[in-house]
Amino acid sequence: MILVSAVAFAAPSLAIAGLVGALVQQRRRCHGLQAEIDRLAHDAAQTRTDLRQRTELDTVKDEFISTVSHELRTPLTSIRGALGLLSAGLMGKVDDRAANLLRIASTNTDRLVRLINDILDLERMDSGNAPIRLRPCSLRELVLQAVDTMSSMAQEAGVHLEAASGTQGGTVIFEADPDRLQQVLTNLLSNAIKFSPPHATVRIETSTNHNDLTVRVEDHGRGVPADKLESIFGRFNQVEVSDSRQKGGTGLGLAICRSIVHQHSGEIWAERNDARLPGVPGTTFILRLPRNPATEVPVQPDVQTSGAILVVDDDPGVRHVVAEHIRNQGYTVLEAESGQAALQTAQHQDVEAILLDLYMPGLTGWETIERLKGHPSTASIPIVVLSVLSPATMNRERAPLIGKAHGWVQKPFDPGVLLAELGRVLHRGTGPCRILLVEDDPDLATVVLSSFQSESESHKLRIDHAPSLNEAVRACETNPPELLVLDLSLPDGSGFALVNWLRRQPNLRTLPLVVYSGREVSSEEMEQLRLGPTQFLTKARVQPKEIENLVLAMVRHLHEPVVELPAGR
Amino acid sequence: MRRILIIDDEDDIREVAALSLETVAGWTVCTANSGTDGIEKAITEQPDAILMDVMMPAMDGPTTFRQMQKTPGVSHIPVLLLTAKVQGVDQRRFAGLGVSGVLFKPFDPLTLAEQMSTALGWN
Repeated sequence: MILVSAVAFAAPSLAIAGLVGALVQQRRRCHGLQAEIDRLAHDAAQTRTDLRQRTELDTVKDEFISTVSHELRTPLTSIRGALGLLSAGLMGKVDDRAANLLRIASTNTDRLVRLINDILDLERMDSGNAPIRLRPCSLRELVLQAVDTMSSMAQEAGVHLEAASGTQGGTVIFEADPDRLQQVLTNLLSNAIKFSPPHATVRIETSTNHNDLTVRVEDHGRGVPADKLESIFGRFNQVEVSDSRQKGGTGLGLAICRSIVHQHSGEIWAERNDARLPGVPGTTFILRLPRNPATEVPVQPDVQTSGAILVVDDDPGVRHVVAEHIRNQGYTVLEAESGQAALQTAQHQDVEAILLDLYMPGLTGWETIERLKGHPSTASIPIVVLSVLSPATMNRERAPLIGKAHGWVQKPFDPGVLLAELGRVLHRGTGPCRILLVEDDPDLATVVLSSFQSESESHKLRIDHAPSLNEAVRACETNPPELLVLDLSLPDGSGFALVNWLRRQPNLRTLPLVVYSGREVSSEEMEQLRLGPTQFLTKARVQPKEIENLVLAMVRHLHEPVVELPAGR
Repeated sequence: MRRILIIDDEDDIREVAALSLETVAGWTVCTANSGTDGIEKAITEQPDAILMDVMMPAMDGPTTFRQMQKTPGVSHIPVLLLTAKVQGVDQRRFAGLGVSGVLFKPFDPLTLAEQMSTALGWN
């Protein structure tokens, strides 16, 4: 009996001992963990303090640069103004020697101003305060623009400027900050011209492969000494001290170029021409950019924040399908399963538009519309009704409410119709309907634009014209159009690149489009080109008048809601 | 023949800008050295346009502009800001104001009138 009892006690005792042992071990581990947590919390607090100090330091530095730049510019304004007036002989005739001195003073003042600009530029780039804005650019356009800008300087210097392209026709579209790249190209060309003897040629050449594109700027001047090929990219490093004074440079141009190129994840360097071809004088500056840059500094997002689309339907299946279609277009989507939930969401979150089912238990669609319109924070949100019924079958007492809906989509719905209707309500504009025509052929542009002249007064249209991809992007940024008319036969890929860019802008991604081209567009291509309500026309078979009629029909559709009041009202 | 009011706290800049507009464009110029004086001058002189510095002590350019917008007798006169602040973040301050344009310092005295005319739509 005692043996049995002993055994009987032993087992649970052992178990308990084991348990206690395990608990003690756990406790020790917990202490260890606690210490670890404490240490991490302390580190985090320290990091937060460090970050705060660093950000404050950056802010102070940035403000300092801004203030210094301003302080330097103020006296320079008076100096430049006074010297400019004297120099031009506006304060009375000056003799030749005086005129020469004034000219010297004047040009050096300009040089000081350029220096301040360059220093400011470089400091801002170094401290990350000048983020680049990426957008699709045409390499050919950038090069031609740079050549154009520098042509008068080249002419004055007696230097011949030549642009050559290595690609087999067509043009290359890539992601970059066009203003910054333009700065690099004009700087390189300016240097090349400055250091070229008269009658020499400066050549700018591009080449591309699958991964990157290359720009080479070649001059036939004295050539940079081999041991200075790297140091010229440093700050205030000139090949020879006298050069800076003679050529009017700031000594920062190449440093700025390198900074910009690095921001694009690219490389820039210089080579002596005689390293490749013995006996050929001069230097070639080479710029290589990846076609899809992974930028090292945070890129300023080119889009504004935008709200979500709220999908309201008590049937989860329908809700899910609708939400998916809209999410695929790049929208943020919120879901609500009842009118009540919809009201809550719309009042407390940033909602751009509401897709609303009519027949729901609890608060019906109609009641929900009434409540939404009655509340100041939600009254202006456009509502698109989803219903198996058409507005025409609504009975008379509903009529006033139908007018409060901005759009109507009948179930079972066609996804294209749904998206088009959503696109339309999001682009409702007031005032003249803004249309942008993207067409690079000037004659064709004239024909299309003139076909609208007669209509533009009566229909209150405003048509702008962009002759290139670059200008189309700029126009869309400064003055977002409500409808885009696009010639698909823009230089290779431009039309597609433009639509891709538009798709990434929240306020333009359901832009109604009229796309015309001289060839048939395949169904895959149509999908790539679709944003909001999109119509395709083939130019060869279509008259400008037909483009005009189509655009006018779309404009009418844009500016009036689809709903019609039922007959008999 | 245009009549311009220049508002800037810096004496030298006022003088040089006035000389530029007078000798190059033949315009008539009156000046003020502060925002408050500027508003008074604008009421009495009724210039065709106002060229106003941004950084001024007491009341700066944008503040003066907003005051002008609320003052009858002045609110109809187009205003151009003149600034040495060329950074993007500063620029954004001016975008929402409603001025007719922003010109930068240092300006070219030979083309100041032309720049103003372009911004004001006078040519």
